[in-house]
Amino acid sequence: MKKALTILLLTALMTGLLAACGSSKNEANNSTDSGNQKVVAWAWDPSFNGKALKIAEEIFKKENPGFELEVIDMAKADLEQKLNTNLAAGVTDGLPDIILVNDPNIQKYVNSYPGTFTDFTDSVDFTQFSQYKVDALTIDEKVYGIPFDIGVTGMFYRTDLLAEAGYTAEDLENITWDQYIEIGKVVKEKTGKFMSTINPNDEAWTSILLQSGGSWYITPENKGNFVNNPVMTETLRLYKAIADSGIAKPVTGWSEFVGSFNAGDVATVVSGVWQIASIMDAADQKGLWAVAPTPRLDIEGGVNASNEGGSSWFVLEKSANKDLAKEFLGATIGGSSEFYERFLTEAGGVGSYIPSFSSEAYQQTSEFFGNQAIYADFTEWSTQVPGITLGMYTQEAKDALKNELPNILNGADLTKSLASIQKLFEQQVQ
Amino acid sequence: MRGKFNKSSLIGWQFVLLPSALILLFSFYPMIQSFILSFESGKGNVSHFVGLGNYTRLFSDPMFLQALFNTLLYLVIQVPIMLILGLVIAHLLNSPKLKLKGFYRTAIFLPCVTALVSYSILFKSMFAVDGIFNQMLLNLHIINEPVAWLLDPVWARVVIILAITWRWTGYNMIFYLSAMQNVDPSVYEAASIDGASKFRQFVSITIPMLKPIILFTAIISTNGTLQLFDEVVNITNGGPGNSTMTISQYIYNLSFVYTPNFGYAATVSYAIVVIVAVLAVLQLKVGGEKK
Repeated sequence: MKKALTILLLTALMTGLLAACGSSKNEANNSTDSGNQKVVAWAWDPSFNGKALKIAEEIFKKENPGFELEVIDMAKADLEQKLNTNLAAGVTDGLPDIILVNDPNIQKYVNSYPGTFTDFTDSVDFTQFSQYKVDALTIDEKVYGIPFDIGVTGMFYRTDLLAEAGYTAEDLENITWDQYIEIGKVVKEKTGKFMSTINPNDEAWTSILLQSGGSWYITPENKGNFVNNPVMTETLRLYKAIADSGIAKPVTGWSEFVGSFNAGDVATVVSGVWQIASIMDAADQKGLWAVAPTPRLDIEGGVNASNEGGSSWFVLEKSANKDLAKEFLGATIGGSSEFYERFLTEAGGVGSYIPSFSSEAYQQTSEFFGNQAIYADFTEWSTQVPGITLGMYTQEAKDALKNELPNILNGADLTKSLASIQKLFEQQVQ
Repeated sequence: MRGKFNKSSLIGWQFVLLPSALILLFSFYPMIQSFILSFESGKGNVSHFVGLGNYTRLFSDPMFLQALFNTLLYLVIQVPIMLILGLVIAHLLNSPKLKLKGFYRTAIFLPCVTALVSYSILFKSMFAVDGIFNQMLLNLHIINEPVAWLLDPVWARVVIILAITWRWTGYNMIFYLSAMQNVDPSVYEAASIDGASKFRQFVSITIPMLKPIILFTAIISTNGTLQLFDEVVNITNGGPGNSTMTISQYIYNLSFVYTPNFGYAATVSYAIVVIVAVLAVLQLKVGGEKK
């Protein structure tokens, strides 16, 4: 009797446990079914991406009062890890309706998890967006998301330091990287300040240089693009030249990088438009900054415009509220000038929606940047950024390059180094 | 008699039934599943059976071999340093003449209760180009210009080794300390009467008496080092180049940073399993009790 009771209790406990695992799933389904006007989104950086969604929600609510949006904020790495594990396990219940995707991950996700993300090809007018953003979202002639913020680059510079070294704004317009190095040497000599920072662990610089020459680490066919690629060769030559010239202060991480210009250690920062917020953090440098176009590669096809970073919005194909999520994104981030104007004014975010560029918000001047109409400049440069295919192995290629970078900086033969990077990359993606 | 034995054994089984079921479900099942997964390759959900393909790839994968080399380097250099340091500190703290024992013990144990990520970030900022460490060396006129510790392959590894030693020495020390307190003081007394020096006593009495504990700490430290992740990711993120990347970080990269190849990541995980097993057997052979 006792024995039977114990066994019964144990079984009850076990089934209870298992049932608990199962039922949570059902609840999640119910809540999304009943609240059919509610959409859940995952995003990182609540003050930027989260803020953008909130603005979009307000705009969408005017026409659809019953609409509700829940933004779940998590760190970028956590979000990517969660998405990957859920999709690999084939579990879509725990996933949101809308998800933010970093541009280099777009092809990777679409190819690794076929049928998981919604096709937006016919629901949004993509001719209204900068071409290179749409290119990044296009796979096999289908567009898999809504272009969001861009990372068009510029050369932020300290007007006071460059004036001290004897340079005016005209001297910095549309220069080449070799000219940049020469200016840097003078700045270092006359002011004692560095021209820029350098971090061999960070591939931002090589990315900016490559894209300004219309090239990338990998070819559109997802093959390594290191050997016989003049843009790559020139990029690495310049990288070494900058490192050797002594104009760059070595930093080891993001906070040191930001710290270096906030503390006034460097005269220029070549970075994406989103860097404006960090530069403006140093309130004591108000009025001392300006922005010039990105230096260019002195080769055929090199332009004074590039891109760093940027992300897009995806909708999950199996989401219960797929149509609502699509409609919401399409009507706001995918086609509302009002959204982009407010996004710029309230969160400092620059999008790639061309109709908004002529708006008042994009023409505003900034006191911090010596009354320059910086956003108008950035958006103009954004139209010149060469379109590239990011492919699906960007990170592998960057790591293969990073592996060889110390040797390159130590003066190894560039042709040989590029061949070994290519080989390493091919081994990584087999 | 037989019936009684059965009954008590049944009650015993009832106690272990639930935990066993849970261990089977959450520990053994994933192990088997990941072993099966290690024979598949592909990207994300699109994977296929490749037989031993992943295992052959492993031996020709320069990135894996680099990570393996780094991890073994930490192991060979860091574990002996840490264990010897732990033993010496434990011995000093065990001295009956020492005052403020509790304070020292707490102070040395404290690092290993700090959060992995926060202490890693602390080390990162200490060894930054503008960091306190460079400032100190500059002020002492040992160096003329700041050293970029984390941008040099050799120094970056030194910083990682310093960091893990700082964090885990106190942890091992506690094991030694408690073991030392179990050694009968009369043994030392007898040795003193026989004229053995303090050093001689440490080498000939303390260390042999502590042998099982030393073996235990050696195995758990080996295990821990082979799974090293947080420190490297937070201090150097594997750089410069990939010169500080560990196997665990490589597994993470394969699963979440690169185009996900969970099959190959599982294969690399099983490489760690094999290495841990081999090293544990070796350590038991070298340091274990002779039967």
